[in-house]
Amino acid sequence: MPEATIDHMVALTVFLAALLLFITLFNQTIQTAVLYQQHRYVASKCTDMLDNIMLNPGYPTYWGTSNATPSSFGLQDPEFTQYKLSPFSLMRLRSLNGDPVYYPKTGMTYSNITMGFGDSLLVPYSQAINYSAASKLLGTNNSFGFQLTITPIVTVTISEYQSSSPLIVTISVAGKGFPLSNSNISYCFLTVDLSGGSFPSYATSYGTAYTDEQGFAFLSFPQVQDDETCYALIVYSHLSGLIGIGYHQRVSSDKQYIIPFIDNFESGRVLLAHSYDIHDFGPPNADLKYNATFVLLTQDFTLREMPMENSTGMVNYGEMYSYEVVTIPTTNPGILVITYRKSAVEGGIILMPWGISSMAFSIVFGDSTAGREWIATDIRQVIVNDVAYQAKLALWSLQGYKVTG
Amino acid sequence: MMRTVEILLVIIIITGAFVIASFFAVLPSPRQVSPTNLERLALTTLQELDVSHHLSGTVFKASNDSSWTDLQVALSASLPPNMVYNLTVYEISPGSAQLYQTIHSISNAESLGVSTGSSSYFVASSNVTFSFTPEKVGEHGGGGTLYILNCSDTNGWWITGYTTPKLAEDLYGLLSPYFQTTVMVQNTTQFEQILNGTTISSSPSENVSNAVVVNTCGEAVPVPSGYYATIGSQNSYAKYCYVLGERVREYNWTFASIVGYPLYYVTNTGLFPSSQNTWGVYGMQLVGAAGLNSFLQGLDNQTYVYNNNWITAELAGSVYLSSEAIYYCNYYGIYPSYYQTASRALPSSITSTYNLNVSNYIFNPSGGYLAGAVYTHTPSGAFLAFGLTRTPDIRLTAIGLLDYYRPRLYRSEYTSTGTSKLVILQLGQMGGA
Repeated sequence: MPEATIDHMVALTVFLAALLLFITLFNQTIQTAVLYQQHRYVASKCTDMLDNIMLNPGYPTYWGTSNATPSSFGLQDPEFTQYKLSPFSLMRLRSLNGDPVYYPKTGMTYSNITMGFGDSLLVPYSQAINYSAASKLLGTNNSFGFQLTITPIVTVTISEYQSSSPLIVTISVAGKGFPLSNSNISYCFLTVDLSGGSFPSYATSYGTAYTDEQGFAFLSFPQVQDDETCYALIVYSHLSGLIGIGYHQRVSSDKQYIIPFIDNFESGRVLLAHSYDIHDFGPPNADLKYNATFVLLTQDFTLREMPMENSTGMVNYGEMYSYEVVTIPTTNPGILVITYRKSAVEGGIILMPWGISSMAFSIVFGDSTAGREWIATDIRQVIVNDVAYQAKLALWSLQGYKVTG
Repeated sequence: MMRTVEILLVIIIITGAFVIASFFAVLPSPRQVSPTNLERLALTTLQELDVSHHLSGTVFKASNDSSWTDLQVALSASLPPNMVYNLTVYEISPGSAQLYQTIHSISNAESLGVSTGSSSYFVASSNVTFSFTPEKVGEHGGGGTLYILNCSDTNGWWITGYTTPKLAEDLYGLLSPYFQTTVMVQNTTQFEQILNGTTISSSPSENVSNAVVVNTCGEAVPVPSGYYATIGSQNSYAKYCYVLGERVREYNWTFASIVGYPLYYVTNTGLFPSSQNTWGVYGMQLVGAAGLNSFLQGLDNQTYVYNNNWITAELAGSVYLSSEAIYYCNYYGIYPSYYQTASRALPSSITSTYNLNVSNYIFNPSGGYLAGAVYTHTPSGAFLAFGLTRTPDIRLTAIGLLDYYRPRLYRSEYTSTGTSKLVILQLGQMGGA
């Protein structure tokens, strides 16, 4: 009788222990399967949402070129179908990267996309679409977080090989996975004349070239004979439908320069500010004379200048002086080129894209991915005003993945 | 002891069940959980390569042409480094046993792996011309005549930079394919004839009833000699506008005003040789705001009352084409600027005052005002008015009328052999789980 009791007790104990163990094991399998389903759901949501953003212009349809706040979010170019994005809608997105810039004379903070000295896009927060608003319009508020990255596929890198007598620059053209060999290069070379005249003048020259098998090209500019000559080089590379853009400037005054702020998308109003009002580099300071022009990329890959009203003027710093204003005369994408002069030997040149594609700016929009538990991504090749870009969406759930069972 | 043995047997059974369940319940690899959508990536890559019709151009070239090398370089450059691809171009041969025949293939790998995605893309040769046959307005009965007021004895206002003949010529080019008959009204005498219900051309299909009348004189409207009472009297000119409204209703016309304040002046260089509109344009007399009010009274068959109250408004900012108008811009291939300024926008209240319905919004309404719309009157008559600021874009008038009548375009069938090719891009991913 006692043996039977002990037998029962041992059997029961072993059975309960085994049952507990197996429940745990099965539970882990079930949890993994449920997590898989949740991850799968996030992944398919990511694909759907990326298409939703890319294939829908939003409402109002032309919100990118107006000051209107969209009531429906989408980035497609309203004049096209398929994966063609509006360069102006992209310009109105508040950048995640780049430190915001506060300009005391307007009392506003500006979203900052800076690709290097003198190549910046500053959009007022009041007109930029922020992540929170976009998230609400997309219906993902409090349920999903996302980050949208739009980067150019073709990278055109320009560096000085020889700084003068003559200036020789190296141009490297590469795609995401391969250099662009034998690609056509069209360029616009602007040199700034700081001497003479009330305002700085500039001279432009145009040319074409080809990259070699490694995607490199060398351009020589005999008109640059000394290291002090300020210039800007804008390069368009194109091969079999792929278009990339690169730019490079050399300035002799990099402490005092002109900073352009977008003020009004609809009217094309741009404020020109003295850098001292934003970055105090300390004395000595001086006013800056400027000469602005707007250049468009034509269909034959050459750049064409467009006349602007009030294209010359002077900006100064301090409370006594206001900013200057120029108005971009077109709704087509292009580049605002501002030559400035501090003295007869110091000056430079500033570029600002009008439409994000005209200088192949990339943009990161949304929330930070740091510390997120599980992120789904998807990519599309898109066209922004004929320039090849890649759009990547990262999406994650904000509701956690806790599984009970 | 038996119980313990039984329990051990149970444990063995459960273990077996767990092992079997685990064997069959294989969870997919992380790549399968969140795969890159290769089909979409392939499609967008093909669209990207064809953005300037480079892909379309290349696939029709010989296999040894350097464009194929450029295409391969561009393809390799546009895809992420871990992507392998195979691009194959097929000839479409509808008459042969094999519908698709491979003519060229480029790839950067021998094998694309187990999991691939592909997309197909049709391209057409640039040597092929597509054609279309437009449906004619009125071909199914009723109307179909377009009258363009191109009167040589009139002047225009708010058409600065253009002339009436130039606008009329452009409008003729844009709209004549869509109408059974297009008649240029050459002078005010001819205009008087159609106001009296008489045809003016030898075309048998000309029909005064249900016609479209486009006034290309801007804010001025041609006035025939028999249609005014007293020279110098705004009241008499307003009465003429009233009669014009009556004619629109009686003949079921669609009357189009292309820019500015409609019917603000009357013009006839023979009748008013020494009168100018205070801006130096001779052959004109001021009607003022009474012109539009009288026209609408006539259109609604109301009793004529002289009313010179200004009813239009200057809208702040820009006005934008409606989504419907944009659709028809794409459909008919006419692309005016999608935003304009409107300083003579008509109030929407005229719809209730004069029993009108807005059948087509060419521009989105703004604050109770309409910068461009087609107003229809029941049972007959319609009025297209663009209260835009000078100078006029005549393409907007064309879009407004096409949006209203919506003639269909019958596109030619495209079956020629060797004029289209099928491109398939297959993608695979290297590395990773």
